[in-house]
Amino acid sequence: MSNDNFPLSRDELLRAYRTMKTIREFEERVHVEFATGDLPGFVHLYAGEEAAATGIMMHLGPNDHIASTHRGHGHCIAKGVDVKGMFAELYGRATGTCRGKGGSMHIADLDMGMMGANGILGAGAPLVCGAALASKYKKDGGVAVSFVGDGASNAGNFLESLNLAAVWDLPAIFVVENNAYAQSTSRDYAVAVDSYVDRAAGFGLPGVTVDGTDFFAVHEAAGEMIARARKGGGPSLLECSMIRFYGHFEGDAQTYRAAGEVEELRANRDCLTRFAQQVAQAGVLEQADLDSVDREVAALIDEGVAEAQQAPHPSEDQVLTDVYVSY
Amino acid sequence: MTGVTVGVIANPVAATDIRRVTANAASMPVADRANAILRVMAALGACGVPRVLMMPENGGIGRHLARSLERERKLGRTGLPARHVTATPVTGTVDDTFAATRAMVAAGVSGIVVLGGDGTHRAVAACCGEAWIAGISTGTNNAFPEHREPTVTGLAVGLAVTGRVPAATALQPNKMLQVTIGGGQGGRRSDIALVDVSLTTEAYVGARALWRSGHLREIFVTFADPEAIGLSAVAGLLRPVGRREPHGLRVWLQPPAEADTVLRAPIAPGLIEPVGVRRYETLAPGHTASLRPESGMISLDGERELYVRPGDRAEITLLPNAFRTLDVGAVMRYAARHRLLTR
Amino acid sequence: MAQQTIRQAINQAFHQEMERDSTVILMGEDIIGGTGSPGEEEAWGGAMGIYKGLYRVYGDRLLDTPLSEAAFVGAAIGAATCGMRPVAELMFIDFLGVCFDQIFNQAAKFRYMFGGKAQTPVVIRTMYGAGLSAAAQHSQTLTSMFTHVPGIKVVCPSNPYDAKGLMIEAIRDNDPVIYCEHKKIYDTTGDVPEEMYSIPFGEADIRRDGDDVTIATYGMMVHRALEAADQLAADGIECEVVDLRTLSPLDTDTILESVENTGHLVVVDEAPPRCSVAADVAAQVARDGFRDLKAPVGMVTAPHTPVPFSPELEKHFVPSADKIAACVRDTLDD
Repeated sequence: MSNDNFPLSRDELLRAYRTMKTIREFEERVHVEFATGDLPGFVHLYAGEEAAATGIMMHLGPNDHIASTHRGHGHCIAKGVDVKGMFAELYGRATGTCRGKGGSMHIADLDMGMMGANGILGAGAPLVCGAALASKYKKDGGVAVSFVGDGASNAGNFLESLNLAAVWDLPAIFVVENNAYAQSTSRDYAVAVDSYVDRAAGFGLPGVTVDGTDFFAVHEAAGEMIARARKGGGPSLLECSMIRFYGHFEGDAQTYRAAGEVEELRANRDCLTRFAQQVAQAGVLEQADLDSVDREVAALIDEGVAEAQQAPHPSEDQVLTDVYVSY
Repeated sequence: MTGVTVGVIANPVAATDIRRVTANAASMPVADRANAILRVMAALGACGVPRVLMMPENGGIGRHLARSLERERKLGRTGLPARHVTATPVTGTVDDTFAATRAMVAAGVSGIVVLGGDGTHRAVAACCGEAWIAGISTGTNNAFPEHREPTVTGLAVGLAVTGRVPAATALQPNKMLQVTIGGGQGGRRSDIALVDVSLTTEAYVGARALWRSGHLREIFVTFADPEAIGLSAVAGLLRPVGRREPHGLRVWLQPPAEADTVLRAPIAPGLIEPVGVRRYETLAPGHTASLRPESGMISLDGERELYVRPGDRAEITLLPNAFRTLDVGAVMRYAARHRLLTR
Repeated sequence: MAQQTIRQAINQAFHQEMERDSTVILMGEDIIGGTGSPGEEEAWGGAMGIYKGLYRVYGDRLLDTPLSEAAFVGAAIGAATCGMRPVAELMFIDFLGVCFDQIFNQAAKFRYMFGGKAQTPVVIRTMYGAGLSAAAQHSQTLTSMFTHVPGIKVVCPSNPYDAKGLMIEAIRDNDPVIYCEHKKIYDTTGDVPEEMYSIPFGEADIRRDGDDVTIATYGMMVHRALEAADQLAADGIECEVVDLRTLSPLDTDTILESVENTGHLVVVDEAPPRCSVAADVAAQVARDGFRDLKAPVGMVTAPHTPVPFSPELEKHFVPSADKIAACVRDTLDD
């Protein structure tokens, strides 16, 4: 089935669904594996927020850069980082994306334009200004996208970056993933003027708010912003209002959330369910298409975990390597 | 609760859509929206309204208002109505508006001040019943609500709600378009529009706001205002139809290259696009247009809302006297004539 | 060979590297000076005039920045990971506090955290030190804040020849480099070859030979140490003055070899004494050269105080040649 008036091709729709589903299954599996105690460190899950990363990253290519947050698995997957390498990284194995030296919170793959999850909130925004600046000098048509949460939107480095990007007219997009909580603190309390369109306007940038659980809303708005930046139209800000299925980190009892809140969100605001409904309503994909993707993804996740669990740990000498290029 | 209560519905996300990046559309800061409510409240207080009942939201308006009201209290400024909030859920979606409107009606509120754009007003009009609306524009493509200083709207609301202006003077009826789709693969669904209904071949809700004119096939309007922005202006530039006139207008479009009449119409703020017109005719009140549209979407008040699937039929009806709004101008003229604001 | 000041030597290094490599860009507050202002173009060329004349040649490869150190230092770092070789100026080292995250958590750690797959060839030029009555927030010697952090290199030239050679090396180096310049010695002159040359990191320079005592120091204190050595020579005490030049990597071999010969070590540092470069050098020699030492290591440093404003107080704060000479005598008498 095809529909000439639908802006995404069948292949693109399948790719979008595969990405969202891969993120969801990756996170659900990490949740389970973390509970067993086999996964070291801190992990922060992106489940529930898949539509945002996917809707944005569908417009990005190899010349484009992103800087992520501590909640970075979804951004990695959507930017094309190898899922098996990511599992191995989360297990701290030598075969991991960062050879077991970064872990969940610092996972990066510069070859894919993924400048890193970041343990420091808001720290990616200046880096993205740099990536955008480099693209401007190299004239390679690249754009750079910075992700922050509603919490880090209050950090000085983020706000400084909005100004710098505007002053230098950088091909940079600032995405605020507003999932309503900074760890446990409500953005209703912590953000004095709780509108990112207002924030953007304060720096002379156009700002747009979309429902971050609606892939198509994110996709269209991000597409316009990215195309604009690519053509030299400068920076802009996209607020995606999002929901978080899990706690701030794995192990968070989430007692600060309302009773029944998460169940309600899972039942009524699941971006994957919504995507499936939308493609069905528009008549552009069949349930069988989605089922087939589901099977591929399930197999990939199973293999990824199994291979990671079998992968070698880094050798002791690896403690000392990779500090400098030369010293 | 005793005494008069005025409902207030303020949409925190009006005017934050994609048109800010595609067409330099304006946005109204949350702080300004909250300040507009404070000015409305000052006017209501001056008219002796003891309380307002507001929609809860998490977009920052309520938080700003709470801080401001606390500040007013510390500074010893009295006379503002007490602020209450409906016990309705906050989901950040249009459902909040539906629920709060129903709660206000259930609480016996007779007038609701709405701060938002066409979309917000549409949501309130869908479930406000006999309660009337006093609209203040904070949206983007606003054809429906007036652009007016909120203090004056607040005074008019205060005078009307306290019974000092007869309803026959204060209130005016409004038309509405009702859309029902069914018969095809998508099942039966219906909705309303306050200003315009359009058929587009773009089969995609996406970022909701309608901002590409090339896919438009047909427009229905309750009123056609050449001074407005959006689809009402397209119709208005062909044949103006007032809000108080009984009929509406239906316009058939075609690609500009094939059309005899090509309008240059402001379909969104900052976006003046060629619109090819095939023909137009008036839409009689109560009349139902039944049509079999091409696959695509039906947009309501400038937002892509309803999918049209193969086999679907659409019925579009112009409803007269569908809901009431406050005629601020008429109220203030009456107040002047009758010295209502003279001590 | 032409005589140049440190200011001119660094300027020449920029000219030559920008000519050679189009990925070299320069950014900082007022480095062009007057961008967007109504007066003359390139009004300042940097707070110390380092960049004068570069904008005319290289145009938009120089960028005046808003007063946003976190953003532009971070942008320089981000651009470095994307194939550029930016040199960002942190006007005073004291401003480190507002952008340190980008340096120590981002630039310093990328290569390690990303499993060896990152290169961050960024240079952060900064001005340090007391002597201009700039007081507590514009006069510090914070070198050890950087040397403490694995993943960054720290350079501190004392003379025009080294300033040029170390800057060229810093720009070509593929790791993040902090390049510290003492604000009192920009007009110090010395021989600087016209041609391009670079000085490898991790190689100290023996500025004066001597057999009695080793004085290890860096930056402006090299000049004070040489003055002290002149005074002491009149009394027949021969000092070997080791200019560390780079603080990370640190050339401990040269220090240890010198101590092996002299048997005495005095370390001189304009920073306060605790956890400083001086303390580090003393500790390393105590560990690896203990058997060569004939006396405890002497340390001449600033006191454990902020830098005072009053010129009189500041004079007492900064280690002087007299204090260094006195410490050398004490060490030899011990």
